[in-house]
Amino acid sequence: MTAPDRFGALRDQLREAAAAFADAPDGVSGILSDMVDDVDHALSEPLEIFPVCHHSPSSALAMARRLREKRPDVVYLELCEDMAPLLTELRNCRLPVALQAFAGKMAEGGPGGAGPYSVVAPITEASAEYQAIAYALDTPGVELVLVDRPVDTVFTSEVPAAGASGGEAADGGSGAGPAAATAAPEAGGTEEDAALHGDAVGVEIGDLRPRFAELEAHLLHHGKVRHWSEWWDQYVEQPLADADYATYRQVMVLIGSLFRRLQPADAARVARDEDRERHMWTRIREHLGATGTDPERAVYVCGAFHAASRVAEVGTAAPDTGFEVRPRTETEWLYGLIPSSHSAIEAQFGLAPGSVSIASATWEKRVSAGGAVPFRLKGQKGGRGRSGGARGKAAPAAGSPVPDKLSGFLAQPPARGVLDEEELLGWCVDIVRLARRNGYAASTADAIAVYETSVLLAGMRDRSRPTPYDFQDAAVTCIEKDTVPGRRDVRRLCEILLGGDRVGEVGYDAMPPLARDVFDRLAPLGISPSKRGVQRVLIDLRADPHLEPCSRLLWRLRRLLPGGTVRPIMGALELGERSTQESWDVSLGRDQRGVIELGYEGVSVEQVLELRLRRAVADPRATAATALAAVEDSLLYLDAPRLTEELGARAVELLAAERTVDDAPEVLRRFRRLLAHYRAVRPELPRWCASFVTEGYAHYCTLLPTAFTDEDAGIRQVAAMLGFLFTLENVALSLGCDRTQLELAVKQAHPRDPAKVALGWAARTQLGLMPRAELRARSAELLDNPLVVPAFPKYLSGFVQALSPIPSLAPFVVEVMSDAFARLPDPVLLPWLPTLITALREHAAELVPVLVREAGRTFPGTLPALDAWVPPWTSAAGAGVGAGAGVGTSGLGTALGIDGGTPGLDGGAFAGGPVADLLAAHPAATDGVAALLGVEGTWAVPGPPPPGTAAAALVTRHPEAATAAATLLP
Amino acid sequence: MTDQMLRAPAEVKYAEELDWLESIDDGPKPFSWRLSPRMVRLFVLGSEPSDGLDREVAQKWFGDRSFVERSIVTLASDRGLLLLGDPGTGKSWLAELLSAAISRNSTLVVQGTAGTTEDHIKYSWNVSMVIAKGQSREAMIPSPIMTAMETGAIGRFEELTRSTSDVQDALISILSEKYVSIPELDDDNTVFAQPGFSIIATANSRDKGVNDLSSALKRRFNFVRIPVVTSKRSESEIVRFRTTELLRRHDIELDVPPTLLDVLLQSFTDLRAAAASATSDDEKLESALSTAEQIGVLEDAILHSHFFGDRTLRAQTLAGSLVGSLARRSPEDLSILNKFWHGVVEPRSRKDGGEWAGFLEGGKQAIDTLS
Repeated sequence: MTAPDRFGALRDQLREAAAAFADAPDGVSGILSDMVDDVDHALSEPLEIFPVCHHSPSSALAMARRLREKRPDVVYLELCEDMAPLLTELRNCRLPVALQAFAGKMAEGGPGGAGPYSVVAPITEASAEYQAIAYALDTPGVELVLVDRPVDTVFTSEVPAAGASGGEAADGGSGAGPAAATAAPEAGGTEEDAALHGDAVGVEIGDLRPRFAELEAHLLHHGKVRHWSEWWDQYVEQPLADADYATYRQVMVLIGSLFRRLQPADAARVARDEDRERHMWTRIREHLGATGTDPERAVYVCGAFHAASRVAEVGTAAPDTGFEVRPRTETEWLYGLIPSSHSAIEAQFGLAPGSVSIASATWEKRVSAGGAVPFRLKGQKGGRGRSGGARGKAAPAAGSPVPDKLSGFLAQPPARGVLDEEELLGWCVDIVRLARRNGYAASTADAIAVYETSVLLAGMRDRSRPTPYDFQDAAVTCIEKDTVPGRRDVRRLCEILLGGDRVGEVGYDAMPPLARDVFDRLAPLGISPSKRGVQRVLIDLRADPHLEPCSRLLWRLRRLLPGGTVRPIMGALELGERSTQESWDVSLGRDQRGVIELGYEGVSVEQVLELRLRRAVADPRATAATALAAVEDSLLYLDAPRLTEELGARAVELLAAERTVDDAPEVLRRFRRLLAHYRAVRPELPRWCASFVTEGYAHYCTLLPTAFTDEDAGIRQVAAMLGFLFTLENVALSLGCDRTQLELAVKQAHPRDPAKVALGWAARTQLGLMPRAELRARSAELLDNPLVVPAFPKYLSGFVQALSPIPSLAPFVVEVMSDAFARLPDPVLLPWLPTLITALREHAAELVPVLVREAGRTFPGTLPALDAWVPPWTSAAGAGVGAGAGVGTSGLGTALGIDGGTPGLDGGAFAGGPVADLLAAHPAATDGVAALLGVEGTWAVPGPPPPGTAAAALVTRHPEAATAAATLLP
Repeated sequence: MTDQMLRAPAEVKYAEELDWLESIDDGPKPFSWRLSPRMVRLFVLGSEPSDGLDREVAQKWFGDRSFVERSIVTLASDRGLLLLGDPGTGKSWLAELLSAAISRNSTLVVQGTAGTTEDHIKYSWNVSMVIAKGQSREAMIPSPIMTAMETGAIGRFEELTRSTSDVQDALISILSEKYVSIPELDDDNTVFAQPGFSIIATANSRDKGVNDLSSALKRRFNFVRIPVVTSKRSESEIVRFRTTELLRRHDIELDVPPTLLDVLLQSFTDLRAAAASATSDDEKLESALSTAEQIGVLEDAILHSHFFGDRTLRAQTLAGSLVGSLARRSPEDLSILNKFWHGVVEPRSRKDGGEWAGFLEGGKQAIDTLS
């Protein structure tokens, strides 16, 4: 049904205007007249189309007024249809919050790329959609139907060939609606709240903005405004503030039509929008048909852009074009609510900072001025307004013709609004106060200046009264000086003043089970979802042992949640280490999103953690090191021996399957730690641990010869392999491994790289395949050979790396290093020094203490002693030759960390001392060990301690400790 | 009169346009302003077809509209205006345009230097006349600021932060009490500012810390910070506008090929990017690489081509001027330019050809000559 004469006069007028002003009148007049046709078309539809724009207080006001007036029985809303169940939960939340759909991965047919996938649709209180939702949910007998395509389609770019042939596009109705998936967040604000939506894709109702950058630039330029939000406020929002419903509706459809007709020919985007429109109208017709609803008793709320659509399927009486609703993919979507904020919405949708806050403030102001009685969900927290269903006059007589309101609206001059002096004065005073609090030297004189400047700026910009944007400019002009004294500048302060960022809150009842469980379990610590700030929590496990489960939960949350949501300030949880006092910074109330998203993964924190650990080790890229990390996590955070056993078994599998030795250092480090833990807490090793040792022993023995020759395997990796083989040898042998496997592997190794050669020699020495004297002789040969001298530092690097697997080599390394420093020519030594230092620095924790301790033992401690000092290896060289057995003694000394030896001890000399005395006095233990090893030794008589040794001197000087120790021994 | 001046002030240069604007101006004018604030804005930023004027008004200052608006309303208020920004951002030009439009006199200027004294902003005496007739109003020499007060005009203070604190502080009383007392005289010893009087000061943000403004003085000024132009389009407009003006002033008929202008703009963009990523002062040019410097380079090249060349602007000449203007320190600046020429200009010349080839050659020669 059309009323061709309704806009006839306007059409003529526009045609004349086009002829008078445009260079190509036909084109312009065509567009203008088509726009009027679009408005006419939308108005002629029996189902009332309610065009909205996002974050527009006018839309919200018009919606509230219209719903109270009409009281429709059905409200169709442009929102993803699968989000419907979430809407009732809105009453448990403090707005703004966002409806979220979350999928860990896409089913087939979805896009590739890494998940998880998240879609958010923020809802603010000052939005038309919230008014519609609140009305529909709280009014008995009213049905709310979401009609937009499901979230599935947000990530699928392709659009099936439309059922319609597209013939209806002949009238130019080939517009593209707002993208369901708007661009990723643009540069957000500096505040953390701007990141509340994470990486989600945003969906919004009523995105109304020019799609040509040039068109927007043109509008901004001629509108003499800086950004889109300001343009909208000045040219649409303010004129429509007090407009009647008919005017509002016609103007909004006209704007929607303008942006629809002036848009780039982006075929994919146009097709996507048209597909959405077909989908929505198909759903509407289905519902109308199924329920028998009278279209005139319903309202269809959609973006103004879609209201101006002319695709064939638009309309309750549209012909059947064969369009079929696309079935949903198999993707499993999970739905929930997450907190949102004004700044997050601005960042997500590329709006000017502060625009949503300003829209919200405008809405509240108009509501309190009696512009409308807003709807509000019963039980909703925060904000103001009345709840309740629709009350008011009866609906107007159906089918009453709507007159042309456009001509009047377009022709009338801008209304001269009255300056709201009270409001402006309030702003001026408040901004000065706020500025002072933020370090500015602002005074009452500034308040006066801001007031005056605001009025002048508004006058200059053709505004009847200062807008918040004029006020902001004025405040910056008058208060901002050359520097910003605090964290926030005046512009930001204005945004705070004019509404401030509002952060939503998801109520306890609207949270997924996991999040509720977390808050329940943390209740003893006073943590609740409504506490917004960072809470400091102190736990004394000795005084309050009942808080132990809370502490455990916090550690688990720390492992699972990103960033600093749960942050330990004091206290640690590591293998073998558990603090009795802990201090935490917890901001679960502020960062609700993290906990809520965890809720999509499982029903309890423990389950999520378990799932994640299992997923980590099952990943095709998983390595033995990652599996060992998972084992460690399971020990730390979950008391689940069976899981640990499974993860450990997986680690064994992964290790056996590894073909490179890149991770060997990490594997060694982690496994040593786990082994130490098990040895400390239980009498025997778990099964997986034993398998790991035997498997690792065989695995590294197999890879050792290749690793020694392979150029890709670094010296550090080979050293770590040897470390595994040597340090875990005892365990491996006790579990049935054969040492000859290792001996053969070392014998098979024929490295060429000097560092690996040195490492190989060290390994042979350790295995007894090469006496220490030969090792010393070989290194001396290297130094004597001028052709090899330049490469000597590399050999030395190999020896240094050998310290980790073979700590007993420390005296030798000190000796070789001292020799090198003494004998290497400067041109060789100096370039190598940085390499040595960086190598030592990198592995400081493992190598340096051994080396320094040994050096401290070898070199004299005082300056005078240096003159008389003779390097022990020179003095003991004779004695040392052929005395390879000395390794054992020195090794014992090193392993025990007892400073009982004397220089040259490794050469085989046996001197008396406290240790020797002790062993000699209680020979039973030593004899027992010797018998077990099958050694028949005899006790040598220790000689007197050489005079002048530091230890002897110390004991002689302070005999009390030794005497006391002796009395303790039986 | 314009013909006899090397550089005519804005009110002389645009006298005809200002007269016309005044004749059609029916907006409310604050104090003794010659134009209404909207017309001042129009004069500075130029007209649009949508303004519905009979003739076109050229844009004279390029930058954000809101800066101009904020500046104009500041002058209509009780406070002085302080334009703050990097060298070459057009602060003084904006100040000149504003005072020309508002009071038709942009020459009431005090230049702030280390040697500026309080006399320069208040008054001094004609010593001979004082000896002959004693101290009287006739023997007094008013400063430009005092003249502005007496006539209700806009006084200008260039480089405010270069002058010492005591001199700056003399402005406090002028800006707050709006009068200057002359204690040497027994009667008629106060000069009251007439309505319309205000001060536009400029300050270089690179001089920050040399003579910091006191809080009392800061309070009496509204600060408008003018940023460096980063939009290539605006910059190209500015360079074109100023160059045309220059050519007219020198009576030179010479075409500046747009491709050459692009080469210049691109070079500056590249050099700015290099300066931004430099980690020490030695790695960046001493020059601020402002728009004004681009104009300077172009001016130099034009003059060189006109007087010493074949009256055609060539890429080689432009490259020579660029090197000559930017190489201030040897060897630091020269080595940066050498790197720029070999690392950026050479690949561009290979890729884009055109004017870049000549630019490459000219630059290398210039660097060689200076090395």
